[in-house]
Amino acid sequence: MALPKRIIKETERLVADPAPGISAAPHEDNLRYFDVTIEGPDGSPFQNGVFRLELFLPEEYPMAPPKVRFLTKIYHPNIDKLGRICLDILKDKWSPALQIRTVLLSIQALLSAPNPDDPLATDVAKHYKENEKDAQRVSREWTEKYASK
Amino acid sequence: MNATLRATESLEMSSKALFFAGSDDETDPLPADNAAPETSASRPTTVPEKRLFLVDSDEEDASHSLEHAPGRFRLPDAQANHDSSDIELPCLEELPRTSSVSSISSELSNTRLSPNASSSRPPPLKKQRLASPKNFRHPPSMEDAYIGCIVCNAWSTAKGKGYISPGDEVLIERDALEDRTGRVKGRNKEAGNKGKKKQLTLKAMMNPQPSNFAKRKIDAVIRLTNKAGFEFGRLPQDLSVWISKLLDLDMIAFKGSTMIDCPTVLHSGADVVVSLSVYLRASAFKPPSTSGIETSKLSGLGQETEEETVLRGRKAALLTLFDALNLRPRHGAQTYRDRNVSNSTSESRSERSSGKKKVKTEIVGDGEEVEVEDGEELSDDDLQLIYRKAQRNDRALAEMDPPPTFTLTLRGYQKQALMWMHSMESSEKSARDATCMHPLWTEYAFPAEPRDGVIDLTADEKPFYFNPYSGELSLEFPKSELKLKGGILADVGMGKTIMLSALIHANKDPEPVRPEDEGKKARQLKLGSTFRPVLNDQRLQLKFGSSATLVVAPTSLLSQWSEELLRSSVPGTIRVTVWHGQNRLDLDALHDYDGDQKSIPVVITSYGVLASEHAKFQKSNGQSSIFQIEWLRVILDEAHHCKSRTSKTARAVYALQARRRWAVTGTPIVNKLEDLYSLLKFLNFIPWSSHSFFRSFITVPFLARDPKAIEIVQVILESVLLRREKSMRDSNGNRIVELPAKEVLIEKLQFTPAERIIYDSIYDTAKRNFDQLNAKGLVGKNYTHVLAMLMRLRRAVLHPDLVVNPDNGSQDPSSKPSAIDLDMLISDISKDSNGEGGSKTAFAENVLANLANASEVECPICLDVAESPLIIPQCMHQCCRDCIVAHLTACSERGEEGRCPTCSQGPVKEIELMEVVRSKGQPGEEQSPFVSTNKELAGVSLRRNDFRSSAKLDALLQNLRRLQDQDPYFRAIVFSQFTSFLSLISAALDRERLTWYRFDGSMDMKKRNAAITEFKQNERKPKILLISLKAGGVGLNLTTANHVFMMDCWWNTATEHQAIDRVHRLGQEKTVYVKHFIVEDTIEGRILQIQKRKTAIIKEAFRGTQQSGKGDPESIENLKVIFGDD
Repeated sequence: MALPKRIIKETERLVADPAPGISAAPHEDNLRYFDVTIEGPDGSPFQNGVFRLELFLPEEYPMAPPKVRFLTKIYHPNIDKLGRICLDILKDKWSPALQIRTVLLSIQALLSAPNPDDPLATDVAKHYKENEKDAQRVSREWTEKYASK
Repeated sequence: MNATLRATESLEMSSKALFFAGSDDETDPLPADNAAPETSASRPTTVPEKRLFLVDSDEEDASHSLEHAPGRFRLPDAQANHDSSDIELPCLEELPRTSSVSSISSELSNTRLSPNASSSRPPPLKKQRLASPKNFRHPPSMEDAYIGCIVCNAWSTAKGKGYISPGDEVLIERDALEDRTGRVKGRNKEAGNKGKKKQLTLKAMMNPQPSNFAKRKIDAVIRLTNKAGFEFGRLPQDLSVWISKLLDLDMIAFKGSTMIDCPTVLHSGADVVVSLSVYLRASAFKPPSTSGIETSKLSGLGQETEEETVLRGRKAALLTLFDALNLRPRHGAQTYRDRNVSNSTSESRSERSSGKKKVKTEIVGDGEEVEVEDGEELSDDDLQLIYRKAQRNDRALAEMDPPPTFTLTLRGYQKQALMWMHSMESSEKSARDATCMHPLWTEYAFPAEPRDGVIDLTADEKPFYFNPYSGELSLEFPKSELKLKGGILADVGMGKTIMLSALIHANKDPEPVRPEDEGKKARQLKLGSTFRPVLNDQRLQLKFGSSATLVVAPTSLLSQWSEELLRSSVPGTIRVTVWHGQNRLDLDALHDYDGDQKSIPVVITSYGVLASEHAKFQKSNGQSSIFQIEWLRVILDEAHHCKSRTSKTARAVYALQARRRWAVTGTPIVNKLEDLYSLLKFLNFIPWSSHSFFRSFITVPFLARDPKAIEIVQVILESVLLRREKSMRDSNGNRIVELPAKEVLIEKLQFTPAERIIYDSIYDTAKRNFDQLNAKGLVGKNYTHVLAMLMRLRRAVLHPDLVVNPDNGSQDPSSKPSAIDLDMLISDISKDSNGEGGSKTAFAENVLANLANASEVECPICLDVAESPLIIPQCMHQCCRDCIVAHLTACSERGEEGRCPTCSQGPVKEIELMEVVRSKGQPGEEQSPFVSTNKELAGVSLRRNDFRSSAKLDALLQNLRRLQDQDPYFRAIVFSQFTSFLSLISAALDRERLTWYRFDGSMDMKKRNAAITEFKQNERKPKILLISLKAGGVGLNLTTANHVFMMDCWWNTATEHQAIDRVHRLGQEKTVYVKHFIVEDTIEGRILQIQKRKTAIIKEAFRGTQQSGKGDPESIENLKVIFGDD
C-alpha cells in the first residue's frame, strides 16, 4: 500500500521542523508507525521527564484519528496504566485538518493541564481531585523514576 | 395487365412481320446457308464461297446485296466503333424496354419466317440447314471463324452400304424450327399451308418462352447427312443437347466435318466416329438480347426470366463447347472451372465464406429494400483485399504540377492524384497504365485452321473474347473502358479537398464543344444577358454550366470547403458560392455571364439542400436551377452519404447533370458491396450503373459466395478509384504522408461509490429484465427494448445525471449554475461580525479578499495545494474538493453532521460549499457568465458546489488541468455520442473556466461554422471543442488541436478512427494524443469484449438504427455476453 502523500509530507515536516520538546520518527519498516518522545512541560509535575510514546496512523488516516499510546509509565488522570490517552481530538473531536504534530502538541498540553473531570485513570483522577499537591508529588516521583533522561 | 398489352402488341407486330415475310418470299431464293467451309475441297458448290456482311443490314434486301457483294473482306472498322459498346457492354438503357418475351418472339418470328415462308417449302421432314433468324437482324461483322474440331462418336440411323465412308464430308443438320415445332404439334403440317403456319407461329409467340424451350429440349436431334443430303446418323444425346442449342441460336456452324471411321455397312445404332469442325458464326458475336436483365430486377432473385433462361442456356452451351474444343482462355477472368484454385483472393474469400455461416437469405419477393439489407457485410480484411488491386500501380503514377492560380504547394502524392484526376477527366489516356480487360471477359485465341490438312503455324493467333457470365462473344478487345469522366477519390486523410481544388484550377476549361453544341453556344452568347428575365432551361443549361463546378458536401463541411478553396487560390481566380440556407439565390443570377471568365465559378451546397431541391424539381413544373444546369463537374464530398440508392439524397444526386463526376469518400464501401453501387450510379459508370447489372454480377454472386464478385469489384475499382492511405509508401519507399506520431492511451477509471450504486441498480434491473426475456425466448421480439436498456446503461457509465430523472431532486444538469456575488458575501460576513469575535470575521474577510490574489491555498486535509478548492461558507476555510467531500462522507458514516475540519464549525453540507473558480487565463478576457461583476475580484468567483461530477467527467477535467499546466494554450477535442453528456461537460468546463465550443447536430450551419472558426482562431488561451460523433465525426479538419478525448467507447472502431483523423491528418504538426476513458467493471468492458469477437453485426445492432426492431441470433448472443455472469 502506497503511503498517502499527506503522511509523507507530515513526516518530512516533523523531521525538518520539529515542535519544541517533541520528536517523532517513523519506523523504517512501517512508515505509519512512529516512535515519539515528548518532554514534560516546564512548570508541570512532568518537567524534566522524557516520555516515550508510540503513534500509529490507521488506514483511514486522516479521515480517522491516529492511535497514540504512552509507553513510559506516567501518573496522569487522563492517561491509564496501559498508556491510553483520553483526549477528545483522538476520538470524536478528530478532524482531518489535525496532524501528527498537532496531536502531539495537544498531548504535551494535556501534561501541563490534566483534566481530572474527564478521567481515564479514575484512581489518579480521584487523587488529583482530592489532594492535587500529593498527586503532583507522585507524578514527579514517577517522572523521576520512569522518565528521567 | 402489362403482359396482355405486350402480347397484343407483339401480335400486331407478328402479323405485320408475317405479311412482310410472305411478300419477301419470292425475292429471297437462298435460305441463308452460310455454313460452308471456305477452304474445304469438298465444299458444295451451291454455297457461296465466302460471305461478307455489311454494316446495318437491317433492311430487308441487305441480305441479297451481301451475298453478292464482290468485296471479300471488309473489316468492320466503322461498325466496330459503332457497335463495339454493344458488344462489350450491353448497355441496358439503350435496349428496347419491351417485355423480354414478346420482343424475342416477335423478333424471332419476324426473321424466321422469311426463309421458311417460301412457297417452295420443304416437306416437314426434309432436312434443311437452319437458317439463322438473327442473321438477318444482326449484321454479322465477320466471317465464320474456325475455333476447333471435335472428334466424337455418333450413331448411325441408316442401314446399308454406301451412304458414307471414312474421309467423306459430313454435313450436320438441324431441323428448322418450324419443322420441329410443327412435329411436336402433331406432324400434320402440309407444305405451303400458310394459314396453318401462321396459326402456329402466333401460338408460339403467345406462348411463354419456357414451353417453347421445353419443346426444343425434347428435340435436340442433330442429324448427320452425307453430301447427298441423306441422313445416315445422329449425334449422341450428350452432345446434341448443347450443340443443338448453339445451332438454334446460330452461334456455330459446322463446315468441312469429316467421317473418320465407320463400318462399311451401316446398321442402325452402329458407332461411327466423326470429326466436327466448329466455326463460330458471325452472328454469335452479336450481343444476345439482354433486355431481360432489366426486367429481372422486378422478379427478384428467386425467379429467372425466360430470357435469362435462354441466356443461361447459351452461356452454358458455349462453355461446354469451349471445353469440348479444349479452348482455354489466354487472359482475363477465370473461368468457372478453375476459379477455385485461381489465386489467394478467391481462396481467402472462400475460406471466409465457409467459415462464416450466418446467411441472411430471407429474401422476400416483395421489395428491394429487404434484399439490400441482406447484403452481407464485408470485413476489414475483405475491404483491404478489394482495394489492394486498385492500389497496386499507384506508386508509379506520374505527377502533375498545379497551375499558377493554385497557391498551395502540393506534395508528391497529391500531384499524382492531380495527374490521375486530370487524365480521368480528359480521358485521353489513363494515368495508370491500364489497358485492363473488362472484368467479366476472357480472351481466347482462334486456333489455326487446318487448310488442306496443314496447319499454318506462322499465322498470327487472332483473339476473341468471351464473357462467361453473360455468354457474350466479342472480337473487339473488351476494354474496361471508361465512358465516364471522373471517378472515385478515396484517399484517406490526404488532403482530398486540396487535391480537388487543384483539379478545379487545372481543368477549368470545358472540353471542346462538340459541333452540335457549337450552334447552341453561339446562340447563347448572342442572347447574353439581354433576355435574362425569360429564363428557360436551355439557356440555363448553357449559361455557365460549361465552366462551373458543383460541390456537394455534408452541411458541416460547407464552410470548410469554401475556406479551403479560397485559401488555395490566387485571389480573384475563383468565385465560391455557398448555396445553402433559406435564401438561396438564383444560381443563374449568381453566376451571371458578365465576361468575368477568368475566375472559376464554384457552387457549394449540401446534400440536404440538394434533396429538397430535387423534391421541388420533381413536382410538376418545378424549377430548380441546380438540376437544370449542366455542370462542368460535380464533386460529391463524403459521397458515402448517398450510399443507399433508394434514399432521396441518392436520387437527387443521380439527377444532377454533369460532364465530369467525382465521388470523394474515404469509405467508398462502408460495409456492403452495394454501397459501391450508388457511387457507380452517380458516376454513370456503364454498365455498373445499372442496378440489375450490378446486382447480377456482384451482389448476387457475392451472396452466393462466389469469389468472382470481389474480383469484379477489384477491377471496377482499379479503373475508377484512387485510394492511397497514410501508411502507403512512395516509389522510394518513403511514407507518402509523414504524419506526426499518434499516441493512444486508454485510461481505466473507477466509479465513485455513489456512481457504482446507481449503475449497479440500473444494471441489475436491466439484467433481470433480460434474463426474464431470455428465459421466455422473447429477446428477439423485445430487441428494441433491450437496446434501450443498454443505452441507459451506457449513459449511466458516463454520468449518473444522464439516467436519473431530473424531477427526482437532482437539478437539471444543463441549467446554468448561479454565481455568488463576492461583495454580497463579504458584506454578509461584516454584518455578522457585530455579534461575534472579530478575529474570525477578519479571517473570513481576509480569505475572500485574498481570493483575487490567486494565492495558492494548502488543503488542511491533504496538506497539498488545494485543487479546485471549496470554501466552507460558515468559516471560509478551504479544502480540496475531494478531501472535504471525503471528510463529510466520513462524518455522515459515523452518524455525525459534517463540520469544518479546521474549526469544527458545523453543520457543513456538501452542496452548500462554495467553489472558487479562478480563471487561469488572462482575467478580463473571459466572457463567461460566471465572472463576478466586482472589478477588483475579476477572474475569481464563487459558486455553490451544486454540480455533480462523475468518474469520466472528473477524469476529463483532471486531464485538462494537467494539460493546461503543460501547455497553457492547448487545443483539445472531446468526442461523445451523447449530446446530453456534452452539455454536462460544457457545464464542468465552465466551472474550470475553460473556453469551450460545441459542435453537434442540433446546431444550424451558421452556429457550427462559428464554433469551428472561433475554435481555430489563434488566441492565447486553452480551447476545447466538444463534438458529437454523429455530427462531426467526418470531414472536419481540426489540425489545430492535438489532444483528443474519447468519452465513450464506440462499437464501430472505424468511426472512432475517423473521428481521430479529424486531428491526426495532413497539416498536423504535433504529436497527437488520444485518450479513451473506460470505466472498469461496466458495460464498456463487455463492449470491448464483444468487439474482440469481431462480429461485425454488432455494429448494426448498436447503432440504434435497427429498423426491424428484431434481433438476429448473433446480436442476441452478444446481448448475452453483456448480461452474462462472469
